[in-house]
Amino acid sequence: MSLVNFTAREITCKIVYYGPGRSGKTSNLQYIYSRVPEGRRGRMVSLATKGDRTLFFDFLPLELGTISGFATRFQLYTVPGQVYYNATRKLVLQGADGVVFVADSQARRFDDNLESLQNLQENLLGHGVDIRDLPIVYQYNKQDLPSDLILSPGELDDALNFRGVKSYGADCLSGNGVFETLRGISELVLKRLAAGSPVA
Amino acid sequence: MRALEPWVEAPLATFLAESSARLTLLMTSAGQVVAQHGFTRAFDVMSAAALGAAIMASTDELARLMEVPAFHALSHQGAHYGLFLSGFDTPRGRWIGLVVFGPESSLGLVQLFFQRMVADLVTVAPGPEPTGQVLGEDFEDELNASLRTLFGQ
Repeated sequence: MSLVNFTAREITCKIVYYGPGRSGKTSNLQYIYSRVPEGRRGRMVSLATKGDRTLFFDFLPLELGTISGFATRFQLYTVPGQVYYNATRKLVLQGADGVVFVADSQARRFDDNLESLQNLQENLLGHGVDIRDLPIVYQYNKQDLPSDLILSPGELDDALNFRGVKSYGADCLSGNGVFETLRGISELVLKRLAAGSPVA
Repeated sequence: MRALEPWVEAPLATFLAESSARLTLLMTSAGQVVAQHGFTRAFDVMSAAALGAAIMASTDELARLMEVPAFHALSHQGAHYGLFLSGFDTPRGRWIGLVVFGPESSLGLVQLFFQRMVADLVTVAPGPEPTGQVLGEDFEDELNASLRTLFGQ
C-alpha cells in the first residue's frame, strides 16, 4: 500500500519484480541502478547467495522527482525465483503497490513462467489481494536470443497474459525494454493513487 | 528527527532523550518509513527499513513454522553497537521499530523506553486515515518527464 505524507507531500510506492528463477529480475534492477544518476538512487541492497542467486531480495530505492506536487519515491524489490524460496517470496510481496512479472522468453522455460504466475496469484491471495485488483505488467525478457529458442511477445501474451495487461518485450542485459517496463508499472501504480485507492 | 505525521514526534523525542539511541527508525510492516532519527541519507533510511522489515517478517514466519507465538523483539550485539528490533500494533496498523545504540546506552534501557514509546504512540494515535484522491489526473506528463530525466533520455 502506498505511503502518502500529505504534510511533507511525499509518496512512496513499493514495486516488486516477480518471476521464475534466472528470468532477469535482478538484471532489471542492475540496469536501472547503472543508468540512474547517483543522486536519484540509493545503494542497491542484494541479499544473495555466493553464486549470486537472490536469496531473499534485491532492493533499490529511486527518487522519481516531483509529480503533482508530491516528491515521489519508488522502492524496487525482486523476489528469489527458485521454487523452494516461496516463503521469502511471499514476504517480499507484502504491501506491494504493483508487480512486474518478468517472464523468460525461452520456449523451454514456458512451464516455469506459468508455475511462477500461478505462484504469484496464490501468494497475493495469501495476503488477501486479488491479482485482478493489483497493478501488474508483464515483461518478456531475453528477446535478444535466437528466434528458434524463444517465444515472441505475441505468443507469450496468448499463453500467459489472460487479463490482457500491458506487456513489454525486453533484453535486460542491454537495457531494451527496462525503461518502458518501469514506466508502464509506474503509470498504473500512480493512476491507482490518482483514482483514490487506499493509502497508508 | 523526521516523522511523517506530527503525532509521532513527541513519543519518539521522549524515547530518544531517555534511551540515548544513536539511530531510530519506525516503519510499517511492509518496510515503509514512518519516522527516523540519526540517518543522514534518505536512501539509507529506506534500505534500513527494507532490511528491518524483512528480518521481522522472516522471524514471524519462523515462529509460525515452529507453531509458537510470534517473537516480539530481537537484538544483535556488535563490538561497538547494539541493534534492537521490535514489532508492535498501532491504530494505524502493525509497525516495526529499529534502534541502534552505543555504549552510552544498553539493551535494557532501550527495551524499557521503547515499550513506553509504544504505549504513548498507541495512546495518541488517531484512527485510520480516510482514503482520498492523492494525485491529479494529469500526472502522466510529469511522470514521463521524471522518468526521462532519470534514465537520461
